[in-house]
Amino acid sequence: MNHRPPINPGRHNPMIHERLGHPNLGLGVGLRTVHFPYILEHHPPVDWFEIISENFMDSGGRPRYVLDQIAERYPIVMHGVSLSIGSTDRLDFEYLEKLKRLAEGVKARWVSDHLCWTGVAGRNTHDLLPIPLNEQSLAHVVERIRVVQDYLGRPLVLENPSSYVTFADSTMPEWEFLARMAEEAGCGLLLDVNNVYVSSVNHDFDPVEYIRGVPHHRVVQCHLAGHTNCRTHLIDTHDGAVIDPVWELYRLAHGLTGGVSTLLEWDARIPPFPIVHAEVLRARDYMAAGLRTSADSDHKAAACEPEDGSSVPHPLAHTVVEVA
Amino acid sequence: MAEQRQKLGIVQRWMQAVIMHPGGVAAGVGSAEAHREIAIAPDEIESVINRSRSLSSIDRLEIYARAYYARLLECLRAEFPVLARALGEDLFDEFAVGYLERYPSRSYTLNRLGADFAHYLDETRPPDDDWAEMLVDLASLEWAIAEVFDGPGVEGRRVLETSDLAAIPAERWPGARLAPVPCLRLLAFRYPVRPYYTALRDGGEPTPPDRSDAFLAMTRRDYVVRLHDLEPLEYTVLSALLEGQTVGMAVQTAVQATVPETTRLADGLRRWFRDWSAAGYFRSIELS
Repeated sequence: MNHRPPINPGRHNPMIHERLGHPNLGLGVGLRTVHFPYILEHHPPVDWFEIISENFMDSGGRPRYVLDQIAERYPIVMHGVSLSIGSTDRLDFEYLEKLKRLAEGVKARWVSDHLCWTGVAGRNTHDLLPIPLNEQSLAHVVERIRVVQDYLGRPLVLENPSSYVTFADSTMPEWEFLARMAEEAGCGLLLDVNNVYVSSVNHDFDPVEYIRGVPHHRVVQCHLAGHTNCRTHLIDTHDGAVIDPVWELYRLAHGLTGGVSTLLEWDARIPPFPIVHAEVLRARDYMAAGLRTSADSDHKAAACEPEDGSSVPHPLAHTVVEVA
Repeated sequence: MAEQRQKLGIVQRWMQAVIMHPGGVAAGVGSAEAHREIAIAPDEIESVINRSRSLSSIDRLEIYARAYYARLLECLRAEFPVLARALGEDLFDEFAVGYLERYPSRSYTLNRLGADFAHYLDETRPPDDDWAEMLVDLASLEWAIAEVFDGPGVEGRRVLETSDLAAIPAERWPGARLAPVPCLRLLAFRYPVRPYYTALRDGGEPTPPDRSDAFLAMTRRDYVVRLHDLEPLEYTVLSALLEGQTVGMAVQTAVQATVPETTRLADGLRRWFRDWSAAGYFRSIELS
């Protein structure tokens, strides 16, 4: 018998500060190596940058040197891909220590990762793999979030991943899992609107119900990105502009949250920085209801090209070496 | 809680075995590793993974299986762009898949994915194959460059300069120990791969080098990796110094190793110490 209390996650809990007390940093861009020279030379008026934590936590070379310069001018948020909060392997405290040191070093506004597991039995697939969504996995994840938060000395912010399978022994929708996880563990949420859309197509659910269902006062940040349409499913490739249905979901999320830090991820076929920046600035058009409609633009997802290896879910976090 | 973890752990170990199987999902479901966790046939897979309106459970798992190899191959190609040029795309990918099977990633960072690639190429190469042996050296060089590029360095810190060494009285030299900068690496190759590497990196079509011992020092200054060819005797002395030997002991090691003419060694030492300090190889000197 299920004794858990009914939840109404969208309702604001007056004991919790909006966005866990974090500021709305505005419209940010995911920091990528190819843009280093442009950013250092032009200091573009972007509100903030998000870094992939693993690309910098071991760096003693130029990547960290550049990051330190950027962190002097812009707010930095850390986004990880290797916490593996859902794995049944032990938490990696060497990793957590490096995460903590990097967060202190760049004065990270907050530290995020994904509701996922990346590997088990000591191995790492370097993918963001989904977990079965049931009472057992919820208890497991909540327990681990608490340990991580104690270690880091700050609330964790977790993102809904894009996913391509669901499990037979899942017993609740993802938004309900996220809502209960956030309330029980006291963590924040990174609402990736593109991931909601991608998973809604892949798993045949209503993305609007999902966006309405997450606890809006716990949403610290939104992600936007492009994806690839493979007809039978979508893949979260981060390789293009944001499509209109995702912008509409963002409009809804913006209204329900009251506005949160918003970031565009672009990880493959990365265009020059001004194009990436201009794409995230389009979010302004969707912050005020009725200002813009889908008919005003015609962005479509890239078509799937399975043979060229381009349809790889992202982020893919490795350092690009520059040799003299 | 232990029971909860156990059930989740079974599903995770099963799914990992399935999506990492090089033969694809159906072969993965039938593998011994997967069967140790959940013993089902491919047509029973919906008891674990739901189907969607558009895709079967196997097709859905295939997305992860394809992504696993595609992602890691993309990463290895980015970590070894010059080796990939030397091998050609297809052969590189074939070796890379074999490597990932034998040495799956156990690190939180993709930046260590290629750490054992040169070793894998060496242990699987055909014997007495010069080209294969040369490729091992090329892979070692490329990986060392990547490590030095993003490893610890001395930018913004003082290193020993030629004038620092010149100020040391001659009688104190034999007992001196030199501490290298953390980004200094010494490499010994069976093939002179440095010019081959540079030509390939710059887009050329160089002829693979013939076998001939080659020695290299690698360091980093101003965040740029620097390579310096070393004479064999220079490599011997420098290696001894990096092992912590005093200058006197290092010189003695070189004498025993090669029985050189004393004057040749003396000339070399003067030149080498000048070159090493100009290149910033040492952080400090300890005089006993």
